[in-house]
Amino acid sequence: MTSFLKKFFIVIAIIIFLIAFSASYKSSNIGNLALVVAMGIDVSDTNKLNITFQFTNASSVSETGSSEKTEPTLFSIDAPSINSAINLMNTNIGKEVNLSHCKLIVFSEALASRGIQEEIFTLSNNPDIRPSTNIVVSKCTAKTYMKNSKPTLENLITKYYEVFVNSSEFTGYNSNATIGDFFYSMTCDACEPYAILGGISTQDSSSLSNSSSPKDSILESNFKPASGQNISENTGLAVFKGVTLVGELNEIENLCFMIVDNKVDGFLISIPNPNSRESISFIDIYMTPVLSTKIDAKIVNGSPFITINCNFSGRVYSMDENLNYSDSNALSQLSNSCSSYLESILSDYLYKTSKDFNSDINKLGKYIRKNFSTEGEYKDYNWSDKYKETFFDVNVDTSIKSSFLLTRT
Amino acid sequence: MIKSKINTVEAIMVVLIISLTPSILSLPKNLIDTTRSSILINIIYVTIIAVAIAILIYKLLKNFSSSDIIDVSEYLGGKYFKSIIGTIFIIYFLVSSSWFLRNFCECLKIVYYPMTSVVFIIFAFIITTCLSSKLGFSTAAKVNIIVLPLLIFSVLFIFFANIRNFSFENIFPILGEGVFNTFVTGLGNLGAFTGIVILYFLPPFLKRPEDMKKITITTTIIAGIYLLFCVSIILFMFRFLLNVDEVMPLYYTTRYIEFGDFFQRLESFFLFIWILVIASFITINIRLSMEIMKKITNIQNVNSLVYSFGLIIFAISIFPKDYAVSKFLESTIYSYWTFGVSFALGIGILILANFKKRRSNHLPKQKEVLETND
Repeated sequence: MTSFLKKFFIVIAIIIFLIAFSASYKSSNIGNLALVVAMGIDVSDTNKLNITFQFTNASSVSETGSSEKTEPTLFSIDAPSINSAINLMNTNIGKEVNLSHCKLIVFSEALASRGIQEEIFTLSNNPDIRPSTNIVVSKCTAKTYMKNSKPTLENLITKYYEVFVNSSEFTGYNSNATIGDFFYSMTCDACEPYAILGGISTQDSSSLSNSSSPKDSILESNFKPASGQNISENTGLAVFKGVTLVGELNEIENLCFMIVDNKVDGFLISIPNPNSRESISFIDIYMTPVLSTKIDAKIVNGSPFITINCNFSGRVYSMDENLNYSDSNALSQLSNSCSSYLESILSDYLYKTSKDFNSDINKLGKYIRKNFSTEGEYKDYNWSDKYKETFFDVNVDTSIKSSFLLTRT
Repeated sequence: MIKSKINTVEAIMVVLIISLTPSILSLPKNLIDTTRSSILINIIYVTIIAVAIAILIYKLLKNFSSSDIIDVSEYLGGKYFKSIIGTIFIIYFLVSSSWFLRNFCECLKIVYYPMTSVVFIIFAFIITTCLSSKLGFSTAAKVNIIVLPLLIFSVLFIFFANIRNFSFENIFPILGEGVFNTFVTGLGNLGAFTGIVILYFLPPFLKRPEDMKKITITTTIIAGIYLLFCVSIILFMFRFLLNVDEVMPLYYTTRYIEFGDFFQRLESFFLFIWILVIASFITINIRLSMEIMKKITNIQNVNSLVYSFGLIIFAISIFPKDYAVSKFLESTIYSYWTFGVSFALGIGILILANFKKRRSNHLPKQKEVLETND
C-alpha cells in the first residue's frame, strides 16, 4: 500500500510540474518567438513614441552555421511606451517579441534631446536586454538609420551589429557604448552617459570648415567621406548630461575620449611636419599607448584640477623621397611635435566636455572623490555642477621609434 | 546521542553554507547600504569582531564538552526552558530558509519561468530538499562538500572575470558615510556572519570535538574573506548599485561576463550553481531543525518530520503577498532576527550557564572550607 501511494504521489507530482512549467516553456520556445535584432525609438507626429523593430528570420541560419544573406524585416508602430509597442507588435505578428538577441538600440536625435530616462530605465528593467547591447543616437530618424544599416562584409545583420564597433580599439574613431554603461552613468554621481553617434550620409564632407587640424578626421556621422554599399555611419560620440543629449563629438574628439578612458590599443594621427622643408607637410604616425593613462585630481581653491599623463610610442607610416627616420634627432623632433599636438587636441577635447557640455563622460569624478573623506562631503561638493569649473593639465610623452620597413630614402 | 557524525572539513563546510548562501541574494547590497564606500574597512572590522565572538562562543561551549546549546539550556533552565530555546532555533532555521527560498524563486521566475507561478517553483525545491533531508545530516554534509566549493568558485570567477570592469577608485571617499556609520552603525553588518549560529549545535555532531576551535576560527575568517570579494565586486563595478536596487546584485554582475564572441551569457551557469547551493542550504536547515526537535521531544525516528518541516517552509515561503514584502523580510528583518538569535540569545544562554556552572563548582568548595573551620 505504501509503495502504491509513493508511486501515486510521484505521478501526481510529475503531472503538476508538467502543467505548471509548460507555460513558461511554451512562451520561451523558439518557434513562438520573434527575435528582434535591433530596436529604434523615434518621436512620432502625435508626440508618442514610434518604435521600429528589426527582426531576423531565425530559419535563415542553417544547421551548419553558414547562412544565406536575407533581408531583415522592419516593423514600426506608434505607442505611448516601449512596452505597449511590444504588446501591440505581439498582437500584429502573432508571436512574442523577444529582445534577448537585440544587439542595438537606436534613439533619434530628437528624442535624445528631449531626454530618454524612462526608455533607458524600462529597457534596463527588461531581463531579456543584455547590458552589452550597443546604444546609438542617430542624427536622422532611428527608422531611417536602421533601414540603411546593411551588413556589407557579413551575412548576418546580427553579426554586423556585434562587430561594427570593433574597430574602435585600433582607430579610436567610434566607441563601444552599451546600454549597461549608459544606465550606470545615468545613475552614477561621478559620470555622465554617452552613446555612439550614428547617421546616414546626407552631407558632403567638403562642406566642413572650422577644423582644428587640416588633416585629422573631424567628421561626424552624417558626413560621409567613403562611398560604398553601406550608407550608415557610426563615428563620433553623442554626449549626454543626465538623460539629455547636449552635444556631439567628432572622430578626433572621440579618439581623445578613448585615450583618456584607456580604451584604445592603437590609433593613427596626422601631425604637422616639424620640418616643413620636407616634401610632405603632414606625417601619419601609428601610436600605441606604452602605459595606461594616469589621472590625478585635486581641488585647488575650490576648483577641480585634473592632471592627465599619457605615454605613447609611435611608428611613422608616411614616407617620401629624401626622408631619414634613422636619425635620432629627427625622431626626437618628431616626438616633441607629436606630444604637443596630442596635448593640444586632448586639452581642447577636455575643455569642450567641461565648458561646453558640462558632462563628465570620462568618469573623472571618481578621481576627485579621494579628496573627500565622506560621501556627504562629496555630495555637498556637487561634482556634476563643478565639472565645468575644472582645469586640466595634459602631459603627453611620446617616443617615435622609427618608421616601418623603410627608414631612409 | 547523534549517530551520524561529521568530520572537521564537513563541519567547516556546513557552517560556511549557512554563512555564505545569503550572499547570493541581497546581502552584499544590504551590507553596502549602511556604509557605502567604506564597506571594505567595515567588513574587515566586523570580521575581526566576528572572530572574537566565535572564539568567545567556543570558550563558553568548551566547558560543556560535547553538549550543544539545547543541552546547555536544559542545564540552565530545565526541560521547559530547553523546549522554548529549541523551538526558537527551529523557527529561526525554518523561517530563514523560507525567506531565502521565496526570494530566490522570485528571481528564477523573473529570469526563466515568467509564466509559471512562484508556488510551483518553491514546491519543486521543497520536494527536492525533503527527499535529500531524509538521507541524514551526515549525507547532507557530504553533498555540501561538493556544493560549497562551487559557490566559492562562482564568486571568485565573477570577481576575476569582471576585473576589467572594475574602478578601484570607487573605494573613495574612504570613510563612506562617516566614522560613526562605518564603525558603530556598521556593526549591524555582523548579521552577515549567520553561520555562527551553527556553532551552537556543532559539538555533538563532530567526530573530533577537539577541532572545534579550528572550525570556529577558520569558518569566520573564510566567511569574512568571501564577503570581501562579494562586496568588492559590487563596489568596484557598480557604484550606481548604491542608488539602485537590483533583484540579485551578484546575478546582475554575471550578465557582464563575456569572453569574446564565443563565451557569452554565462549567467545560466551561475544560476545553476546557486540552485544547488540553495537546495543544500535548506537541506542543512531542515536537518538541523529535525535534530533539535529530536532533542526537545525525545522522538526516536525524526525522519517522519521531514515532510512537516518541508510543508512549514513551503507555507511560510508563500505567505508574503508580493516580492516587496519578502525582500523586506529577507533584507531587513532577517539581520535583526539573526542578531537576536545568533548573538544575543545564544551567547546570553552560554554566559548564564557558565556562571551557573562556576557557581556550582565553587559552592561545594566553600562548604568544605566552612566545615574545616568549624
